[in-house]
Amino acid sequence: MIWKIAAKEFLLNLMTFKFVVGTILCVVLVAIFVPVLAEDYRQRLQQYDQRVADNEAKLRQVKAYRVLTPTVYRRPQVLSVFSQGMEKRLADSAKIGFGTRPDFDKIPEINAGPAEVNPYLSIFPAFDFLLIFKIVMSALALLVAYDAVAREREQGTLSLSLSYPISRAQVLLGKLLAGLLTLAVPATIAFLVGLLLLLSSPAIALGGSDWARIAMMYVASLLFILAVYNVGLLFSSLTGSSSLALILGLFFWVVSIIVIPDATVYLARRFLPVTSVEAKDEQIAGIEKLFLHEWHQECAKLPSGGAANATLGPFHGGNGDWFILVCNPAEAQYWEKGAAFEVSFNVKYARKFWEVEHDYVESLLRQTRLARAIGRLSPACLYDNTMNALAGTDLADYQSWTQRVRDYRDTVLAYIRNKTDNLRSPLYITQCTQAEQITWAKGDKFAEEATRAAEKHTLPLNLEDLPRLTYGMGIAQGLQRAAADLAVLLLFNLLMFSLSFVAFLRYDVR
Amino acid sequence: MFWQIVRKEILESLLSVRFTLAIVFSIVLFAASTFFSVDRYRAQSQEYWRRVNENLTGFRRQSDQLCKLAFYEQNAYRQPKVLALCAGGSEDLLPGHFTFDGFDISLPQIAGQSNFTLPRFSDLDWAFIISLVLSFTAFVFAYDCICGEKETGTLRLILSGATPRVTLLLAKYVGLMLTLAIPLFMGLAVALIILIASGAETAGLVPWARVVGIVLTSFLYLSIFVFLGMFVSARAARPANSMAALLLAWVVLLIVIPSLGRLVSDKFSHAHTPEEFQRAKSEAQKQIDDRFISGAYGPNAGATGSNRDDPSVNPRGRAQGTIEGTEALNRVVDAHHERMLAQAEAGRRFTCISPAVVYRRVCEIIACTGIDRSRSLYRQIKTYQQNLRDFIISEDRSDPDSLHILFDDAPRVAEWTTISHKPPSFEAVPKFLERDLALGESLGLAVWDLGLLALFNLVFFAGAWISFARYDVR
Repeated sequence: MIWKIAAKEFLLNLMTFKFVVGTILCVVLVAIFVPVLAEDYRQRLQQYDQRVADNEAKLRQVKAYRVLTPTVYRRPQVLSVFSQGMEKRLADSAKIGFGTRPDFDKIPEINAGPAEVNPYLSIFPAFDFLLIFKIVMSALALLVAYDAVAREREQGTLSLSLSYPISRAQVLLGKLLAGLLTLAVPATIAFLVGLLLLLSSPAIALGGSDWARIAMMYVASLLFILAVYNVGLLFSSLTGSSSLALILGLFFWVVSIIVIPDATVYLARRFLPVTSVEAKDEQIAGIEKLFLHEWHQECAKLPSGGAANATLGPFHGGNGDWFILVCNPAEAQYWEKGAAFEVSFNVKYARKFWEVEHDYVESLLRQTRLARAIGRLSPACLYDNTMNALAGTDLADYQSWTQRVRDYRDTVLAYIRNKTDNLRSPLYITQCTQAEQITWAKGDKFAEEATRAAEKHTLPLNLEDLPRLTYGMGIAQGLQRAAADLAVLLLFNLLMFSLSFVAFLRYDVR
Repeated sequence: MFWQIVRKEILESLLSVRFTLAIVFSIVLFAASTFFSVDRYRAQSQEYWRRVNENLTGFRRQSDQLCKLAFYEQNAYRQPKVLALCAGGSEDLLPGHFTFDGFDISLPQIAGQSNFTLPRFSDLDWAFIISLVLSFTAFVFAYDCICGEKETGTLRLILSGATPRVTLLLAKYVGLMLTLAIPLFMGLAVALIILIASGAETAGLVPWARVVGIVLTSFLYLSIFVFLGMFVSARAARPANSMAALLLAWVVLLIVIPSLGRLVSDKFSHAHTPEEFQRAKSEAQKQIDDRFISGAYGPNAGATGSNRDDPSVNPRGRAQGTIEGTEALNRVVDAHHERMLAQAEAGRRFTCISPAVVYRRVCEIIACTGIDRSRSLYRQIKTYQQNLRDFIISEDRSDPDSLHILFDDAPRVAEWTTISHKPPSFEAVPKFLERDLALGESLGLAVWDLGLLALFNLVFFAGAWISFARYDVR
């Protein structure tokens, strides 16, 4: 009997004006904007490939391990077309370095910050597949649900149906099933159209994990639409008139889709203020002063030197962006002793800088977590979180990436230590042999001639065995991150349906 | 008859659930918005004045020698505005911290507390409440104003009398607007009570005149939705169909179109990436360096010896080259900043097909907030730089020991005494203070947008009129 009711409702819904308009709008929006979003992804991917290639080219020119400062980039997520999340807003690169004074951009976490190239574009909200579903499909769900019970009462068909030997539970389950089937039609068409258009773009290549995550996104989308449908069903079962159910439903929709997501940010900012950027910068400046003070003290203990003939390396424009071509034995001693000290000193201070940055970022994250917790009152926020987690464009994925970069930094350091006899080899600073150093030291024209000679014969290091950072996200990780919000969304559905059921049991069908 | 219909419409609405909901929503949202805004304004003002005083103290310290004034790196911040509660203009997300001296200005940055990990949000200001919630309420009031009466049969009854259709249409419009005005005014009244009780600075007539301007614009804006609601209601056979169409129209006009701005900006306008910007600066600098090397500024223009009378230095040549270099770099920075603004403008121009975007822009212009204010602030700083330099040059004229050349090279200017070392009167030194546009100027800027809102009204009124004139009431 449930199936009969579901089939009848489904067919009736398919023939309504609202269903046709809602479906057309949804599909048209997807058809227009998925190619635009795919093109945007292609451009970002191209930029990423270019930057990776540039970095590799620079690595091929490195002539001393001291200036081995690879930059790692975060690959744009292909599923950002579905849900952009925070991907465009967070930094997507981190520079790794040890032998030079730690700069902000050499500590991965410090890169966490607004990465907007043009800050004035912040006035525009993000547009993606998620927005179409969140707004258009939820509105359609409400329009389908609001008169599911009340209209039948108004038309008198409800009392007729219930005069047959069928329970109210069966009627309501039939309506739920009909709603799900009805809404699954535009959702499925929109997903299929979106996927077809996406696959037609040459830049898009979907792997097994991507397909699995897309399937999960589809399920999450259905759950979200069903949640809004259940709310509509509840109002329809609570009120005697369909127009009242519609008005109540629409106000709920405005609150949950528009007001709550904004209000959560306000409340979180009000009740959990973050450390100011200025206070953090002051702390950093304080550590920098300490750093310089200690650096000068320790440098005084080293053998005299530091005036070796150096030339610009491939990484121009900052402290230590050079490599030493030639030096006399005294200089070599200075640099060899200094190297170990320099690296350990910089690593120690990099950690201190990171602690300050980490505390700051943590205070931001606490505020964000509070906003997310409050936002779970709204199915729209739950849906947002789920989709971002599955697309790999949420904050958790970014944190996971920065953690991976920090581990990679240790890997690179271990690699350099391994190649340079734990930084004791002169190779750390120069490729000149000791014999060459002595020969050049004998001549008075040490600097100019030796540099010219060294530049000719010094070859770039072979860095083919340098470990490269690989980062990817699997379905398990995506599911793990989305699980909590998905579960709450499911619970929301169950709660709303239970309330609808209770309301329908007490519903006066006359 | 006209007023009888108006009265009937209002009374019918007053008794409905939608009206009660609209009142509750309006009061709660306006109260919450004003409370949050005033609270934030206080905190931001305190921080703003602390920074301004810090900057001024540093500036005063430099006034012991005239030549130092032009090289003090000043910080200017966007001043918090109490009228941000009417239209915040997403200023929290926009750059509002400017660092500059007498010659250079860096690209504006985002200052203060800003949590970039939070989800994007809109300002919960009056413009947000009116543009989203009250426009929606307008649809909820209007969706069945014609087709609903047809369904109940009262439309035939009214039209069987001597009432022309146009009178009925206008009476319904006036009735709906007056009904809509009640939640709006109740919300505004609560907001103003909170504002006045909070003691926030609203001295003078101008802020109040701006508030009145925003309220009047709000009516013009809400009127569009009432006309659109009537138009769709006059096209639909059943209220359910009318609501479905209106809801989808609302989604498109208020959510989808404004969200497309970013895509349009990215697609049709290009701002330089940070790498391209740095490259442009390096190229400009290289050109000047080449000119120095080629002797375009005279012999020894690149030399920096300590004695200005030494023939191996050339203060005037160096000044000429340095000034050209600074101007070239400033042109690159200005062009980059203009490109960024133009890119945002491209998106905004496209999204103007949504009345909500036009309305918010008008509110921002009247309240002196938003992206236009950022542009104005940048220009004001540029003007101030020129005034500061003019002041230094005019003060310098009375010092016979000075060479009377001001250029962007602090050590050389001091070493060669190209500008006087005597202390000026600090009170006479120009200080930067942000100036708001006068109300007249704001209205002048907003006139096209106001015209656009009026045009939307006209189009939808015409649509409603034609549809209703042809409406089959049977």
